[in-house]
Amino acid sequence: MLQNNLVIQVNGLEKQYQMGDNVVHALCAVTFTVQRGEFIALMGPSGSGKSTLMHLLGCLDTPTAGDYRLNGRLVSQLSQRERAVVRNREIGFVFQTFNLLPRLTALENVLLPLLYSGRISAGRARSQSEQALTRVGLTERIHHKPTEMSGGQRQRVAIARALVNDPALILADEPTGNLDSRTGETIMALLGELNDDDRTIILVTHDPDVAAAAERTLHMKDGQIT
Amino acid sequence: MTLFNTLWAAIGGIAGNKLRAALTTLGIVIGVASVISMLALGNGARAAVDANFRFLGSDMVQISVKQKIDQGELVPVGEILSYDDGLRMPGELPLVERVLMSVDGNGKVRHDREVLDMVVTGTTAEGLLTLASQGQVQPLRWPDGERLTADAFLARGRFFTPAEVVAGADVCVLGHKTANDLFNGDEPLEQIVWVNRKKCLVIGILTELEVTNPALRNQSRPNELLYLPISTAIVNLFDEEPSVQITARIEDESRMVTARAQIIDYLRQRHNIIKNEVGDYEDDFELTTRQDILGAQQEAARTFAFLLAAMAVVSLIVGGIGIMNVMLVSVTERTREIGVRMAVGAQQRDIVLQFLLEAVLISGFGGVLGSAVGVLSVPLAANFNRGVALLDPSSIPLALLVALLTGLLFGLYPAVRASRLDPIEALRYE
Repeated sequence: MLQNNLVIQVNGLEKQYQMGDNVVHALCAVTFTVQRGEFIALMGPSGSGKSTLMHLLGCLDTPTAGDYRLNGRLVSQLSQRERAVVRNREIGFVFQTFNLLPRLTALENVLLPLLYSGRISAGRARSQSEQALTRVGLTERIHHKPTEMSGGQRQRVAIARALVNDPALILADEPTGNLDSRTGETIMALLGELNDDDRTIILVTHDPDVAAAAERTLHMKDGQIT
Repeated sequence: MTLFNTLWAAIGGIAGNKLRAALTTLGIVIGVASVISMLALGNGARAAVDANFRFLGSDMVQISVKQKIDQGELVPVGEILSYDDGLRMPGELPLVERVLMSVDGNGKVRHDREVLDMVVTGTTAEGLLTLASQGQVQPLRWPDGERLTADAFLARGRFFTPAEVVAGADVCVLGHKTANDLFNGDEPLEQIVWVNRKKCLVIGILTELEVTNPALRNQSRPNELLYLPISTAIVNLFDEEPSVQITARIEDESRMVTARAQIIDYLRQRHNIIKNEVGDYEDDFELTTRQDILGAQQEAARTFAFLLAAMAVVSLIVGGIGIMNVMLVSVTERTREIGVRMAVGAQQRDIVLQFLLEAVLISGFGGVLGSAVGVLSVPLAANFNRGVALLDPSSIPLALLVALLTGLLFGLYPAVRASRLDPIEALRYE
């Protein structure tokens, strides 16, 4: 296996929180790797540490100990400022509650990561965003605001936003949790298609039916991968 | 993120809550408006003082009677300042080159069936020269910067001579409007008018005059004038001898202090003022020099500036706290938005800039609105201050700058607070 084909290398990752007098071990020596193009489901009951792991993988937080390499680069001890850059360029988030900005149109929401990256012109950012929206099957309603869209459409906008910067990793946290089962299936199908385009996806869920769509499932319990 | 995009985001943030933003600006609006109108009042008062005392050259001492209020009327505290006091002064005091004197009284002026109740002025022969050097009025459409001479004020005829003043001749000079009102377009020169039932020969007519200071234009009527020789005026207008206004011109400006002391000694002697039991003189006259006025004016300006600053500070602090409060609420409400922005790659400085711009936009809007209100309220302020208020154009950019700085100062804390949010907590925020 080629080293540079590994998107994620996690080695002995630990996270501890101070809760009053107690130290909570949210993650205990987690070690795993993910190859480019893998579709992984991360499962486990609440309190198992899967949210903590996702925050670390998403560079929203730093581990207490251990190494995390994303695309070959050590990102586990980056500063806040550097993590923002990694989130912007290497990671796309899809949330259960969509987390679109209500005052912005679909297109403006998708533009957001490109605006913060500041690396491309306004014209190119716009065409790239339109492409991402087309990729998720939204070409008509790109000038509508989230409140004028259905739940499935909103999640498609969110997925387009996660795609637009061409990230190394898409992190989806219960992406179907707020959708009815039929809409959920179409979203899972969309994620499947993206995976077929060789995109690396980690899906956090507690629904075994949803997890079944992934190629590999990591089960978590008590802060460890079992 | 570019500044333009951040600005756009900030505008979007405000647009999301227009009413709240508008109400928040109220404090800034009031603060800025009051600063502008107060500065206009100060500016107007300064202009009025400048205009009123422009005539008092650095070689002049103005002498007036000291007055007190007794049963609602102004009465001299001691002896009056008499015509004779002034008349003898150049002879007694070598440093006094000459004196100008004037007195105003109410008179009934009649020609044929036209009767005017008006203020009649008695002056010495230099009356027009005084008028010219005061600089308060000028002939209509007088070219800017052109030197005013006494002759420029005369349309026809002449002013009275020193001999006529000493003799108390029955001659008079009419203002433009007074001449028209009395004669209805007929030639007044060499005609007789009656001033308080005394005959008076019209020897001169003034040209039409306007007030030079725009701030004072609506409170004076420069063309309603009747000049009599001061000696004639004292006899014709008053039952008892009145106090006169004396202006002494000093021969040698550098000996002003000595001249001043000599005038005081001279008047004390004439008015029999001696030291009281504690060794002070209780003078019944007052001396004013240009130096006195400048000093008093600077003192007043300082007091005024202090008052102004206090008012501006208070209203802007109140406005600023309003902005801070609204921004804190806005940050709390938009915690999740902040979390999303951070998740997709916003740096701390992007968040600071967005919220700071929002605060500055709100305060800037308040500043613009306040400037407009301030400018519009200047005439209103003038009504409360006897027509004396003059917009100082430099006060507008100053007030705007202050408004923006207020937004910057009070927006900083909420903006920094927003940027310090933990993205994980912010994303979870309900």
